[in-house]
Parts: sequence; structure tokens; C-alpha cells
Amino acid sequence: MAVADVIRLINVNPVYRNRVVYTETTEPVSSLYGMLDTPLGDTLESYLRQHHIRLYSHQCEAVNRIRTGKNVIITTPTASGKTLAFNIPVFEGLEADPEARALYIYPTKALSNDQLATLEHMAQFTGISARPAIYDGDTPQSKRAAIRQNARIIISNPHELHQVLSFHTKWHPFFSHLKFIVIDEAHRYRGVFGSHIALLLRRLVRLCHFYGSAPQFILSTATLANPIEFAGKLTGLPFDLVDEDGSPHGRKHFVLYNPFYDGIGERSTYQETKDLLVSCVKENLQVLCFTGSRKMAELVTLWAREDIRRSSARLAESISAYRAGYLPEERRAIERQLKEGSIKGVVSTNALELGIDIGSLDAVVIAGYPGTMMSTRQQAGRAGRKGDDSIAILVAFANPLDQYFMYHPHHFFSRSHEHAIIDTGNPYIVSGHLLCAAAELPLRETHDREYFGESFPELLSELASGDLIRKTSRGWVYSGRGRAADAVRLDGIPGSTFRILCRGRLLETMDRAQAYREAHTGAIMLHQGETYIVSEMDSETHIVRVTETDVDYYTQPLKQVDLSVIEVYETRVVLGARCAFGEVEVTEQYTSYKIKRKDTIIGVEPLDLPPITFRTKAFWFEPVPDTEQRITGSNLDLAGGLHGAEHAIIAMMPLHVMCDRWDIGGLSSTVFGENGEPVVFVYDGYEGGIGLAEKAYEILPEIFSSAHELVRDCRCEEGCPSCIYSPKCGNDNQPLDKVAAMIILKDLCSPTEKSKCSGMSAEPGKVLL
Amino acid sequence: METLREYEIVRDGNIFGTSFGNNIVYSSEYDQARHLLDMLVAKYQDVAFDDVFSGSEIFNQAGACFLQKSRQNLTIPAVDIDRFRSEILNDLTLVHGIGPMTQARLKSKGYLTLPDLIRHPRFRSNANEVLKCLDSGSSAEIMDLLGYRHAKSHPCVLGTAGLHEPEDYVFFDIETLGLFSRPIILFGVGTIEEGNLIVHQYLLRDIDEEQSALTATLDHLSNDRPALVTFNGKSFDVPYVSDRLAYYGMGSLARIPHYDVLHFSRRKWKNHYPSLRLTALETTILGIRRDDDIPGQMVPEFYETYLKTGNCGPLVPIIEHNKQDVLSLALLFFHLLEESYGCC
Repeated sequence: MAVADVIRLINVNPVYRNRVVYTETTEPVSSLYGMLDTPLGDTLESYLRQHHIRLYSHQCEAVNRIRTGKNVIITTPTASGKTLAFNIPVFEGLEADPEARALYIYPTKALSNDQLATLEHMAQFTGISARPAIYDGDTPQSKRAAIRQNARIIISNPHELHQVLSFHTKWHPFFSHLKFIVIDEAHRYRGVFGSHIALLLRRLVRLCHFYGSAPQFILSTATLANPIEFAGKLTGLPFDLVDEDGSPHGRKHFVLYNPFYDGIGERSTYQETKDLLVSCVKENLQVLCFTGSRKMAELVTLWAREDIRRSSARLAESISAYRAGYLPEERRAIERQLKEGSIKGVVSTNALELGIDIGSLDAVVIAGYPGTMMSTRQQAGRAGRKGDDSIAILVAFANPLDQYFMYHPHHFFSRSHEHAIIDTGNPYIVSGHLLCAAAELPLRETHDREYFGESFPELLSELASGDLIRKTSRGWVYSGRGRAADAVRLDGIPGSTFRILCRGRLLETMDRAQAYREAHTGAIMLHQGETYIVSEMDSETHIVRVTETDVDYYTQPLKQVDLSVIEVYETRVVLGARCAFGEVEVTEQYTSYKIKRKDTIIGVEPLDLPPITFRTKAFWFEPVPDTEQRITGSNLDLAGGLHGAEHAIIAMMPLHVMCDRWDIGGLSSTVFGENGEPVVFVYDGYEGGIGLAEKAYEILPEIFSSAHELVRDCRCEEGCPSCIYSPKCGNDNQPLDKVAAMIILKDLCSPTEKSKCSGMSAEPGKVLL
Repeated sequence: METLREYEIVRDGNIFGTSFGNNIVYSSEYDQARHLLDMLVAKYQDVAFDDVFSGSEIFNQAGACFLQKSRQNLTIPAVDIDRFRSEILNDLTLVHGIGPMTQARLKSKGYLTLPDLIRHPRFRSNANEVLKCLDSGSSAEIMDLLGYRHAKSHPCVLGTAGLHEPEDYVFFDIETLGLFSRPIILFGVGTIEEGNLIVHQYLLRDIDEEQSALTATLDHLSNDRPALVTFNGKSFDVPYVSDRLAYYGMGSLARIPHYDVLHFSRRKWKNHYPSLRLTALETTILGIRRDDDIPGQMVPEFYETYLKTGNCGPLVPIIEHNKQDVLSLALLFFHLLEESYGCC
């Protein structure tokens, strides 16, 4: 068995052996089938029979619950047949009520197309007149009316939906009979984007109610720590959960592989990834390899081919890159060759993660933790053909989160800690959608609380004073200039947007804070793995001009942060330390930037940018006086300790609260409080806050203890990029004191918590099998 | 929040700019209009609304709005309805299954008119349907029949207007705060009374008067057998009004015959004139010149200035512009009707 050979190889080969820090093996599981409360009708029954499908337990449970009219969220793993679990009850519903309609919302075009093919096949086979159709930005004007009129399943995406809601009169027949709203890959709608989608869905439901329908929601997501809470925040409705997987799988090996096991890391993560890829291909496994950027996908492919060419030119040709920029024909050719088996190894960016159908492979190599457990599971889920053994390998980066997992594998393999965050309370996001809602139907202060919350009327006066809405006898009416929908960007917080142009082509847009940080004049900027240099930032027109470049240095802006507390919402005490959650006002000013090659500073340039002030949500804590005294008493640096604790906490936030460390900011001070107490602040880096600090405040003890473990278990002496150094630190990681940081964090962790944690940690470098 | 302009300003004479549809304003027009706005704001500072406009407040079940009425003398051409009828009756292609080739063959065999086809074994029943429609159908049904067998912009479709009395016509043009999903701020309705064009303009003094103005406008469309006449109304004015009615939950527009003069103009003059905008046609065809006019695309910023400041100066050119639009629309409509079916 080839997979077993690879497992043996990495456990015996001296190079590999040292780097394998942990292997988790899951034994094969056979299918668990279920029963429907009442049998399916003849058409659907024969559809299943002809396709040799017997429903698994979770599929039956989903069908049973959807039939009762409840909103259902399904969170079983990739390839467990979630699509069928909701397509069956939808088709049943369409068959029972010839007027009924369904709306499917997909995040990407490729997924929409795949689903269209599935639905068309199902409609044709069963004879149920679903008439599925895609309605998105590419749908020609000439076909739109017919689709609205005739299609009973419309597949669309959030951006299109946002645009069409104001034309709801044309959707009258569809909305008034809308029975199901299916949101697949719903976990994609989190953070700022998710908060926008949550409000967009409230606008949609409001219109459905206006037209006399009350659609039932069906969500499918990857594994989350808080599925019911998440679904509730996304839609505003209560949900039933279906999460017990009944689908079968073969023996699975998941290997944690640490190139930095010795604290040095003589070969880079990507070089190691290449080696593993080559070994798998030589063992005749079909292997899929994930890298963070396009450029690395190309490079790893190139290296692997060169390597294998030494033994076999033919085998070298069986490795290919696969990334988002490829033409559809190129991608289809690769997909076909993979299925035929003529391609052995594919190196991809995360384009493949999102369910393009290439079936399953024998092995998956992931270069660097992809940022969320959810993505990791989805990528690893690509390994494992029906019932066969499979292997997934995570190759760690040197950064804190990756290294944390290497030393705490149990955290990696235990139940998900990740909370997907949606905040429907950000006044800036809500205001934009209130404008859209007022353009769709007059807004009524009492009636519309159901959709926009108890406090939304407070926002109306501000919109009214800006002449954007006006009060009439029927409610508030949109009277602003421009389409309201155009004033809202679903992926950002309203405000000034900077456009990044490369030779006149729009690369991306950024909000002001991000532009100042990453796209100031002279900055080296990364976009989809390519390197650009900023030649000009025009603060009048909000245009940033960049050109492609190939330099061996990078830039790092330095900033000053000022913070004042506006309002304390809540306080709590964790082991004597006062902790609080509330609203703060942050002023960030970028003063200069460093030009660095590797770790050497080769220049410092001043920046002339105005300060950015914004209100957001934060949590903060004050270490107890005893902690402070022990630090100063041992001649340690209190400021360095607070700063290090702040970095460690921010580094561990993504483990608990689904976000990127760039979404969070921090500030520490030795004498912030009224009586000069030391304080550490952690705040959401978005105007108005997006719920990250708020969630973290609820689970502070868990965050403190994982930050403590991170610092404690790092093998460095004085702090390093794997623990308390921050890649985004505006003070250039000065001052930092690892020992002091450890004392501060340790005092925030209860003894039971500490012993539990240390009991779970793996000995560094030791192979556990 | 940023305010968005929904038009592009293009350099004068940039004919390529016009290919972006109606959403362009020439830079000279733009500059003039901005200048005019400043001038009006200065001139009407502290002048009361009632001193500027001679109209009156009206009330209906939906509330109040302001009505400005004006009268224009115009010559209404007589339509040679017999010529229209005989042309239609001679048109065998109105029958399903008969194209130009078949028609030529049938005519050579002596089937000269639709009634003659009653004797034809194959086309008898289809011809009967057509005759029944022409005999007793409403003008809308006849329009549909003609539009279906020919193009919707065919002159004979316009000819069905001759089946109406001039008093049936409702010339209609709206001014809005933008392209869709925003309030309509002025409804211009032209009707014929005793050979004169009466322009009723329902103006919103504030946004909450929109429902009342909509109601007043609908009253004009619920006469005996109204016929709607617009310029680009099929794409703009009518869907816009439907959208606003739905927005307020006020029901929907009744289906009435609708003559969109843009469509007939396009068919007739597409390759003759570079621009088919109403203001361009009124100059070339009717010889009308406007003074102190503002581009329709700039109405929102004028109205917004009024809303913000309460200074009613910016309303003056809006009302003038709309009145002229309704007048030019009526003149152009009669011009086209006369060219096709006028009595010589």
C-alpha cells in the first residue's frame, strides 16, 4: 500500500523523522445509513435508486428536519454529501407546490456552475420542473426577465443580490413564492463581509415578507465552534443543527511536520514541501499541494520538476501547477488529466479548496497553516478516495500560530475552537444597508426593528441630517444622490476607498487605514503573491499607482498609536486582574517606514500622512500589582513584558476567533490607568468594530492560556518570530521581554488551566505515533 | 457618504462620448448649468415659494402636493382614419402564416383585402381572428396585433393613435432624483382640452408629497380610454412609476395603449441625425430653441439644492424644462402622426 510506504518513509528517513512532530491516525469508518420519517415520492426515490444512492444518517436527519419547516444548518465534512441533503427536500418542496421557488446563494462562479449542472441533471431525471438558472453579473440583460419569470431555482451570489433587491418589483412572482433560501459555503460570510451579508439577508427577508412569503433557510458550512450562533447572526433566525456525519472514510493519517523543529530551520517551508511532494510522487501517490500564493505554487512546481527530472523525465512532466489565473480550458485539461491519472502532483493556491470537482487524491501537502482550522480541514479533506488510506501533511511556517500547533498537536486535532464572527451592530455597516432598505421600501421605525435591531432608529437621524433619507407618512424614504446600493461595498467599511492601479489596471481597492499601512509611497506591496512597488499615492483622488518589481527587500511602516477609552460596557476579573470590554477611540499615525533586507535595516524613510482616528471596540486588562512587582523586582522590563504579552495574545486570537491577525490592533502601556496602572489593549482594526474583541472578551481565560503556552513552549531565549515578535508591529518589536511576558501571561492563567495545558503539550521534537 | 453623479461629463463635440447612452452631459452644458444654479440661488434668496409659482396646492387621499398648470395653443393635425383603415385592411401579412411572398401570390389571385380572405380555405379562420380584432378590439389590442406582425415601431402602430380622440392622449414626462429607486420629484402630464395643450405639473415641495403626486397622476390615466404618449417612457418613465407605486404599496399601473415617440423617431430618423435625444429632435425637426435650460441629468442636483436650502430658485428651470419636454413631446408626436396619416 503506497500510503503506508510514505508513512514508513517519513518515520524512518533521518531527515524526515526529526521533523515529524506528530501523526494522528483516524481508523476507517464505515457508512451509517439513516431512515426518513416518511418515504420520498416515486420520482426522487427512483432518482436515488438509479444512482445507487442510499442516504447516510446525516442526510436523512437533514431531510427530516427541513421537512418540518425548520431552518437547518449542516456542518458535516467536505464530500459527505451535503448538497444532496438539501437538494432532496428542495425538490420535494418544488414538486409538492408548483408555485414554490428556491434561491441558492454561492460565493463563487465556479461553484454556481457546478451546482447548476447538478440541479439540471436532477431536474431532468426526476421530471420535477425546477428550471434552474444562474442569475449573476454575467447573465445577459435579454435573458433576465425570462429567468425571473420561469426559473424555480435561481442560483446567484451576494453581490448580484445586493444589486437586484432595489428592483424587487420585477421579482414579485419569485419573491412572493420563495420557499427556500439555500446558502452553501456559508462560513465564507464572516467578519466584515459576513456582517454585510447578514444585513443583506435581512433586506431580502424583509422584501419576502412584504410579498407574503417567509422562506426557510438551509445553510451548509465547514466545521465551526459556534454553528447555531453563527447561523442565527447571519440570518436573524433560530436554527437546527445537523452535524453527525454518517459517510464512510478510509484510514487517514494527518502529519504535523516542522521544518523549524531545531529552532533553526535550515530549509524553508517551501523547500520542505517540495521534498514531500517529490517523495509522494515517487511512491506513486496522487498528491495535491497547497501554497499561499500563485508565485509559490509556480516555484514549488518548478523545483519539484527539476528534482524529479534527475530520475525520470516522464515523471517530471506529471507535476503541474493549478491556480486562479489559469484559463478555464487550461484548468479543465488539468482536472481531466488528474482524473485519468496522467498527472500525479498538482500544486495549487486555495482555488481548489473551494470544491472544484477533481475528486479525491491519495495525499495532500499543505505549505503553512492556511489561517483557519476550517480551511485546513477542507484542504486535508481532499485526501482520501472511497475507503482507501490517505495522508495529509501540514508543513509549518516559523510564525507563532504554526509553531503553537507543532508544540500543541492536541489543540490541533481537538474540537474546533474557531468562532465565526458576525456583527450586525457596526453602525457604519448598518447605516449603508439602512439606505439600501429605505430605497427598497419605506423604512418604518417600529415595524423594521424586526430586521435591523432595536437601536436602528437612532441611526436614522444622522442619515436624515445628511439628506440621504426623508420622513414621509409611510416611513423614511431614500432621497440621496446615486443608487443606494452603489454606496455600499459588501467587503468593506464605508469610508474613503483607495484604488490601487498598475498601469491603469485596477489591482484592488483598500480602505484608508490599509492603504496607509501597505500602499504608502515607496512601499513594497504584495498582491496575490506578486510584488509591486508604490510609485505614488494621491490623497486627493485616492489613487495609488504601483509598478511590478522584483526586489529583494521589503518595507515596514512604523506608527504611533494613541488610544482613549470612550465607554466601558462590561468588566470582569480574571484571577484578580481587572478586564474590560468597551468602546475606544484609536488614533494611528504612520510616521516613517523601514526598508529591510532579511532582518537588516538598509534604510529609513519618513512618511507624511495625516493621522487616522476611528472608534472601535476593544478589550483590555490590567495585570495585578503583584505581577508588576515581581517583574520590576527581578530587573525585568515591564514595558517589554506588556508588549510581548500583547503580541502573543494577538497572535493567538485567530485560534479562537476566526480572523486574521491583521484585523486586530493592540497597545500596551506601563502607566495608562487613572492611578498609573499598566494596561494592555486589544482592539478591532475596523471602524465601529466587527465583533472580534467582543467575542474574545467572552473567552478571555482560553485566550490567555493559549498565549501563555505559546510563549512558554517556544524554544527561543529572548523572543523570536515564532512567539512574541509581530510582523506588523508599528514599534519595530521594541521593547520586548520574553520572561516578563511569560510572567504576565502565567498570572492570568488559573493553575488548573495551566496543568491541563502542560499535560496536553507534546514534547518538542518527539514523534508520537 | 460620497454623493455619486450618475452622468459623465464629456468634452464638447466628443461624439464618441454619446455612445454611452443618455448619461452624458457636455462640459459646456455642465458649466452653464452650474453657473445658472449659482445665479438662481442668488436671485431667489429669501423669495417665497408662492411668489415664484402661480400654481396651487392640491389635496387627495394620499396628502398634498403642488400643481402648476399652463396652457399652450397648438394645432392638432387631423388624422385620415379612412386611409389608415384601408391600409390595414389591405395588409394581408397581418394574418398569421402570411409573409410578403404569400401576400404577393394571394393578391395576384384576387385576394386583395383581409375580408377577401374569408373565402380562402386555408387562411379563413386566421383572417377572421384579425378582422374580429380590428372590428371590436381596443386600440391596445390592435396595437399589439400590428406590433406583433410588424415591428412595434412600425408607422401603422402609431396610426392606431388615430382611433383615439385627441382628448384621450396623456403626454407624460417625469423628473427624478436619479436613475431608479429614488423619488420622482415632478410629474408632467399634458392633456388636450379644446385644442389646447394643458400641462399639469405635480411638484413635490418635499419628498413626502410623492404619494399625493403619484395619486394625482394616476387620475389622469384612469379616464375613459386613455392613451399614454411618452419619449422613452417604455424604458424609463413607466417602469419608474411602477417601481414607485410598488415601493409605497400603491398597486400597479393599468395596461393602457402606450406610444413611445422615441421608438417611432428612431425608426424614422436613425440614420439621418446624430442624436435622437428629445432636445436634439425638437431643434432639428421642430425648430425650437431653449433658453436657460438644464440637462435632464442635472435635475437631481438642482432639486437637492432646493431641498437643502429651501431656496426655490433651482426649481424654476426644472419646471420650465419639464414643461418644454411635455410640449415638445406632444409636437413631435403630432408631427410623426401627420407625416404618416395626416389629411392632405
